[in-house]
Amino acid sequence: MTAIDQTAAAIPAARPATKTGPRRPKLRDTWWRHVVAWIAIVVALFPVAYIASAAFTGNPSLAGSSLIPRHLTLDNFKKLFSPGNSTTDITSNASNYPHWILNTLIVATSTAFFTVMLGALAAYAFSRFRFRGRRMGMLGLLLVQMFPQMLAVVAIYLIVVHTGTVFHVLALNTLTGLIIVYLGGVMSVNVWFMKGFFDTIPAELDESARVDGASPAQVFWGVVLPLAAPVLAVIGLFSFVGVLNEFIIASVLLQSDKKLTLPVGMRGFIDQQFSQHWGPFAAGVLIAAVPVVILFMFLQRFIVEGLTAGSVKG
Amino acid sequence: MSTSAVTSPAPSRLTAASSAARSLPSRAIAFFSGPVGLGVKVTLLALMNALSVWALVVLVDHKKWPAVAVLVAVTALLDLIYLSARRAIPAKFLVPGTVFLVAFQIIPVIYTVQVAFTNYSTGHILTKPQAVTQVLQNAFEPSANGRTFTMAPAKDSSGHLALLLVDQDTGKTYVGAASGLKPLPTSAVTKNSDGDITAATGYTIPTGPSRLSLADALNTFFVPAGKSQIQPQGLDSAVEVKQTLRYDRVHDRFVRISDGAVFRDNGRGSFVSDGGEAIEPGWKTGIGFSNFGQMIHDSQVRGPFLRVFLWTVIFATLTVVFSFSLGLFLAITLNKPGMRFRTFYRSILVIPYALPGFLSLLVWQGLLNDDFGVVNRNILHTHVPWLFDANWARVAVILVSTWLTTPYFFLVSMGALQSIPAELNEAALVDGAGPWQNFRKVTLPLLLVAVAPLMIASFAFNFNNFGNIYLLTGGGPNTSDGSVAGATDILISYTYKLAFVVGKGQNYGLASAIGILIFFIVAAISAASFWRTKALENLA
Amino acid sequence: MKVGRRLAVLLAAVAVTALALIGARANAAPAHKGSAKATTVRIWTDQDRKSSVTKVANTWAAKTGANVDIVVKAFPPTQDLSKVTAATAPDVVLAPHDTTGALAADGLVQQIFLSKAVKKQLPAWVLRSFSYGGKLYGVPTQIENVGLVVNTKLAKVPKTWAQLEREALAFKRKSSDNLGIAVQQGSGGDAYHMYPFFSGLCGYIFQQSKSGALNPHKIGVANPKFLKNASLVDKWNREGLINSKVTSGTAQTAFLGQKAAFWITGPWNSDTLKKSGLSFRIIQVPKIKCASVPFLGVQGFAVTKFASDHGVSSLAKDFVVNYLTKPSAQLDLSQASGRYPANTVAGKQVHDSVLAQFGRAGAGGVPMPNIPEMASVWGDLGGAWVNATKGSGATPARTAFITAARNIAAKIG
Repeated sequence: MTAIDQTAAAIPAARPATKTGPRRPKLRDTWWRHVVAWIAIVVALFPVAYIASAAFTGNPSLAGSSLIPRHLTLDNFKKLFSPGNSTTDITSNASNYPHWILNTLIVATSTAFFTVMLGALAAYAFSRFRFRGRRMGMLGLLLVQMFPQMLAVVAIYLIVVHTGTVFHVLALNTLTGLIIVYLGGVMSVNVWFMKGFFDTIPAELDESARVDGASPAQVFWGVVLPLAAPVLAVIGLFSFVGVLNEFIIASVLLQSDKKLTLPVGMRGFIDQQFSQHWGPFAAGVLIAAVPVVILFMFLQRFIVEGLTAGSVKG
Repeated sequence: MSTSAVTSPAPSRLTAASSAARSLPSRAIAFFSGPVGLGVKVTLLALMNALSVWALVVLVDHKKWPAVAVLVAVTALLDLIYLSARRAIPAKFLVPGTVFLVAFQIIPVIYTVQVAFTNYSTGHILTKPQAVTQVLQNAFEPSANGRTFTMAPAKDSSGHLALLLVDQDTGKTYVGAASGLKPLPTSAVTKNSDGDITAATGYTIPTGPSRLSLADALNTFFVPAGKSQIQPQGLDSAVEVKQTLRYDRVHDRFVRISDGAVFRDNGRGSFVSDGGEAIEPGWKTGIGFSNFGQMIHDSQVRGPFLRVFLWTVIFATLTVVFSFSLGLFLAITLNKPGMRFRTFYRSILVIPYALPGFLSLLVWQGLLNDDFGVVNRNILHTHVPWLFDANWARVAVILVSTWLTTPYFFLVSMGALQSIPAELNEAALVDGAGPWQNFRKVTLPLLLVAVAPLMIASFAFNFNNFGNIYLLTGGGPNTSDGSVAGATDILISYTYKLAFVVGKGQNYGLASAIGILIFFIVAAISAASFWRTKALENLA
Repeated sequence: MKVGRRLAVLLAAVAVTALALIGARANAAPAHKGSAKATTVRIWTDQDRKSSVTKVANTWAAKTGANVDIVVKAFPPTQDLSKVTAATAPDVVLAPHDTTGALAADGLVQQIFLSKAVKKQLPAWVLRSFSYGGKLYGVPTQIENVGLVVNTKLAKVPKTWAQLEREALAFKRKSSDNLGIAVQQGSGGDAYHMYPFFSGLCGYIFQQSKSGALNPHKIGVANPKFLKNASLVDKWNREGLINSKVTSGTAQTAFLGQKAAFWITGPWNSDTLKKSGLSFRIIQVPKIKCASVPFLGVQGFAVTKFASDHGVSSLAKDFVVNYLTKPSAQLDLSQASGRYPANTVAGKQVHDSVLAQFGRAGAGGVPMPNIPEMASVWGDLGGAWVNATKGSGATPARTAFITAARNIAAKIG
């Protein structure tokens, strides 16, 4: 679950940002910051512009030499949603793209939710309890992730196939099966960073609650988790994005047209022998990116106001 | 950390947290204490047990006994953990995630290790019984007379399957039964304009669904005809074929009927004749350390290993260092409190992260094209051979990887910067430190402690970043040493080529063996870095 | 906490839920080991050919009363066959002919026999392309190959190689944006699209015995005749006739944007060509030193070993052996997927002029080798072309192809 791990690693933290006063710095002092920002934006958006160009024009290829489109068209977007279009599925009566979006949302939301919950449970144990194997356990979590995933896919496939012949809910080509497999990535770098965050929540809080007669479970659900909302939001967000980007496992487990997630479904536009439908593909990617960016904007406050409490003992 | 100021919680935080704890959470505690909390727990546990019982029934149904044993053991263990009141508290928290970890991370690793000791590869996919079945199924050749027939499956008067056949050369008609082939007078047969038999006296030719029901019987049906036999091909045609190989079950060997050549199990997944001729398909079987031996002895594998390994380390290290530095620089630049548009800037800079990486890679590949790419043609107005020269390709790979990874470290640094108390920086400034010194002596060390684990994880990720290499350069350009590994191949893409491109195509056994070696290398480097950066300090 | 009470509650809950679940399953679960005979044939195809396969399969299904289940896989659909388990495996798979060897060696496909009447309608080389070790493993249905597309407004249709070279270079000189011959390579190389040039210089890949079997140890990538002609490649490189930096995207964009008068491409771009509004003709590349023939790709269908496991092998064979060989089925497939039919009777009924032109451009072509060892060839052969035609700093073709031949031999072992 490399994609998910890689994304799930940023850590926000509990500490609210010290709000500085309303004093706005003079442009005289900050002009260079704006210049840097704009240079960065140009570099960051430069390839993105070509994706947008492919989406809004009829250009047959990506990164063609002209960026400025000769004519703008929404055809590629229409193709995604119109029934019976030739790039997705000639015989079906409806386009599959809406299905893919729905599937992706289901898988991404569930994966994010359980990743956060189960990860937080484990992180709490690593943060608050002292037990044998704790150090090795944490190091082990990280090292297991380093096994080349390309090789593990065959095994994951076989596990799902064998489970699926007995339990149809978890079979190949089910979203539940895919979610369960993604949860294999719960115990990863995520746990490290949630643990680091929990370390910054004063243990005195737990103790006072315990004195009041709360069980460890109650302390966790009642005291620690609400305080850790920022870290939970961000880990959740990153595992959400991870699902949106995950191709290898999903492509092996999902099979029928209507069951695919976005990355797998859209790869079908370009994974053909010779013909590659870059237009609808780019359009699909752009649509998929919009909610993510909005979510980022919404959660930015959490990230900025938190801190990588993880390793800096609070 | 050496700075004591950050190692104990800031008083203000404690207060804030305490007050928070007193409001909503304390109400939550009150709510979850007593019957509700117990109810939730019992419900969850009951659900888990119910699922287990259900799974047990299904598994028994399918006679999966080992799975039954595992299920019973796991369920019992889980019940024990969650019903024991005070003991095993950490386990209660760790178990849910660990179950998934074991199922989808550890077991695949174990499986891969096991594959490394097999010959699992093109020609060795099936199990031995499957392979024997398959060899027998495919052990036919057209008989010497090469007769082919138009066929109509029918039932004789006693309801047995019989094939009504028309020889396509002579037009003679026959009836074929399990007992043998008999001529059928043309007068007894009615044909349509296509020459298909539509009726025959003494036989009924089923149509529609009842014809379909004969398909099952036709799967294994054949008509013996002297030394050869007549095999139906589907529902409409038949051919006369003769068997080429015979399986001797007692001695577990194949005998070629034409010349009596004997093919024996060679212990490595093939039936091989004394002359060294092997029957395809073979089967998957254990071959001990052969794959590991091949890593050492085969010059294709061993030759470029060191070169590829060094490049892998350079690639992963530089990608992480560059993207961290850039990300941090941007985060600091945009970290000015009160600066206009900084929220907007940050949101824009995160966009590359929201797009699928493989798409960005393909776009970059087009942009960097030497002659036609935008970078050379419209921006630099040069002819930098980005993808066609070994060293430039390496530069391109690192640049693009950096582009892809920077937003990630930008986010991480953005968060991490907030963790550094402003008082510390101010204190340093009061001590007369310049902004650069301040950054080096205060900000960076604090940041590194927070971000080092991320950097190491990112290093490991890039170490195995097959996608970046494969999609951008495909490992190319080729090198002059003639090895499989191109100039930008990293260990994992090189493994891919060795196992799936060279030789007969697919060699999972060898791929797994090299994969294990790669795992040990990256794990060792990462573990060493952890100890060095003392990232484990707070595990004490 | 009273453990006793908890346990009681727990047990009650377990019992109730378990009963409920078992009950639900008893109602919902399909008869797993049902005695009904299997009548569903599962077919794996790729996205491009899905509609055509669906159409043909449904016609067959309606005729026989069987059911079909069409599953779309990435191209080539055969690539997952070695990993699949019987439960989800297909009974019939659309296969490019060059996967035949590997599939047969793996034991994943069943040997089939065609009747004489059918064999008469299929060219011998087409049947050979699906044969391995003298046995037939698939029914060929469609043929595809590249041809030289000429923009007739920008250049005359060349009759000889010299004429083509002259026309292409004259057009190229008109503008710095223009290409000589637009043929796709890119840094990874593309031995497939370059094959007309390779065969035109008398190159071949594996030596073929009289029976048509290929010998992976006799490699013709740097055979003496080819090496004698190799200096022509250096000349083309100097002139800029062929440039390895051209990718599929650049080649297409250039031709459609009238920045190239000649384009090497195949029938997968028929629609693009028809919609482009350009006037064009498709021909075989004129003979250079030997006949400049393209690689021939054949698509067909194979019956998998799993059809036996599923108890539908006679149905699967009926679809493949008896139905897909028919001219009418082949014509349907051809029309729906835009490829030339393998069946010669069907071939005579192709009225699409673009398709027919591509068909003629493939005359005398060489089927891509179908033995598993071909896997070792693509990269190095494509790489030799890339190195020899990358403009300044290019490796002399002689050296590039000798190196490639050596590397291929080392990899095949």
